[in-house]
Amino acid sequence: MQGILRFFEYSGFANVTPGHVLMVLIGLLFIYLAIRHEYEPLLLVPIGFGILIGNTPFLENAGLQLGIYEQGSVMNYLYQGVLKGIFPPLIFLGIGAMTDFSTLLSNPKLILLGAAAQIGIFLTYLGALALGFGNPEAASIGIIGGADGPTAIFISSRLAPHLIGSIAIAAYSYMALVPVIQPPIMRLLTTPEERKIRMKPPRAVSKQEKVIFPIAGLLLTGFIAPGSLPLLGMLFFGNLLKESMVTKRLADTARNAMIDSVTIILGLTVGASTQATTFLTPQSILIFVLGALSFMISTAGGILFAKLMNRFLKGENRINPLIGAAGVSAVPDSARVAQTEGLKADPNNHLLMHAMAPNVAGVIGSAVAAGIMLSFLM
Amino acid sequence: MSNPFNFSAIQPEHLTLAATGYGVVFFSLILLYFIFSIMPKVLDFRLKKQPDPEGHATHGAHHAPTQSGEVNAAIAMALSLYFSELHDQETAILTIKKAAKTYSPWNSKIYNVINFKGAQR
Repeated sequence: MQGILRFFEYSGFANVTPGHVLMVLIGLLFIYLAIRHEYEPLLLVPIGFGILIGNTPFLENAGLQLGIYEQGSVMNYLYQGVLKGIFPPLIFLGIGAMTDFSTLLSNPKLILLGAAAQIGIFLTYLGALALGFGNPEAASIGIIGGADGPTAIFISSRLAPHLIGSIAIAAYSYMALVPVIQPPIMRLLTTPEERKIRMKPPRAVSKQEKVIFPIAGLLLTGFIAPGSLPLLGMLFFGNLLKESMVTKRLADTARNAMIDSVTIILGLTVGASTQATTFLTPQSILIFVLGALSFMISTAGGILFAKLMNRFLKGENRINPLIGAAGVSAVPDSARVAQTEGLKADPNNHLLMHAMAPNVAGVIGSAVAAGIMLSFLM
Repeated sequence: MSNPFNFSAIQPEHLTLAATGYGVVFFSLILLYFIFSIMPKVLDFRLKKQPDPEGHATHGAHHAPTQSGEVNAAIAMALSLYFSELHDQETAILTIKKAAKTYSPWNSKIYNVINFKGAQR
């Protein structure tokens, strides 16, 4: 009888709390959104399932070595890749190997939209300070506005490891919710005439330019913000593997097998790190609110800067301000949203290629911003 | 309801970080913009300067002008359509359907029953 009671003590039924139930429901919601509505399924399915794994209740501190925060557990070992900031650079390597920077190179002025959209990061940093967060925590929260999950994880692993779970979940949630969050802001800040602006088709980009870009990009951004080297170094390296055309096998591995493997482990462990006993705090809710704010400000920043640029541009050089929203680095979802909104205004106006330029510039911009934060605060 | 924001917590060094940080992001991307705005001109200039095999400097007119993306897309589409029509084996082969049922021990009994009358004759 005693054995049965002991077995019950160890079971989930004896250890379940309302927090566990809430987190399991959130995990199920993530999985539902991913499968039913196809919101970032490659991220939300692993994260959602990770939340289920992390919030299946068990007797903690009983030496079972099950929880992600328990030394010696398998999940804890896998989580080291997140805590030590190993996974984000590997993800950047894969992103570099799959990204075509041609649109950016064909119309380089669109790079500036990627810079403008980073305003959310720095304003939210100040907002988080005003809400009582410490300097490193505020910087980590601000990065959510870049809509770049790996960068957010990387910077919080360095500056605020205790907030990784909340920051990563917030960043990936907003990345998944790009099609819901951005369109109202886009419509609010643009006139119907502006949404109809047709941009000139991008010119063909030579192979030489494509090969020079990752090398020049790395040297330039690396010299200015060395803190961004782990991310941008891998991003540009991956891009050189792709564009050099002589390392096809390496590029294929980086953009397929490797990024997929890392995404699986990253998503699962980040999800599991939301263990109710450590995750459900008022701080987490504040982080979610600030993250949303940051993301909205960044979107608005990109759109308003595009409108500002139009004051100095004439004719076919003008920019459709909808692509300014793609300055946040949620690749390629923001660009897709710009395309969808553009088609609503003019069914023959395809903005996807143009929007990809600020989108990939946003990846560079948010990584540089992260590097600057690290340089200041480490 | 009290204001949750305490703006006095923002010190001048925080403002400096935010302003400098945003400025540096802009600066680095403006540099990228500047470099890649002049890059095509630099590369084009270098190509024009390249001597031909006989040692004479070639002129820009000898090089194919840069095509727009739309033209390239149209050529690629035409080639794709053309090559998709080529097959090692033509697709217009009629399927020859076997009409007769093959013998199998599983259907032999019913086969015999059906053909019983015919066998009697």
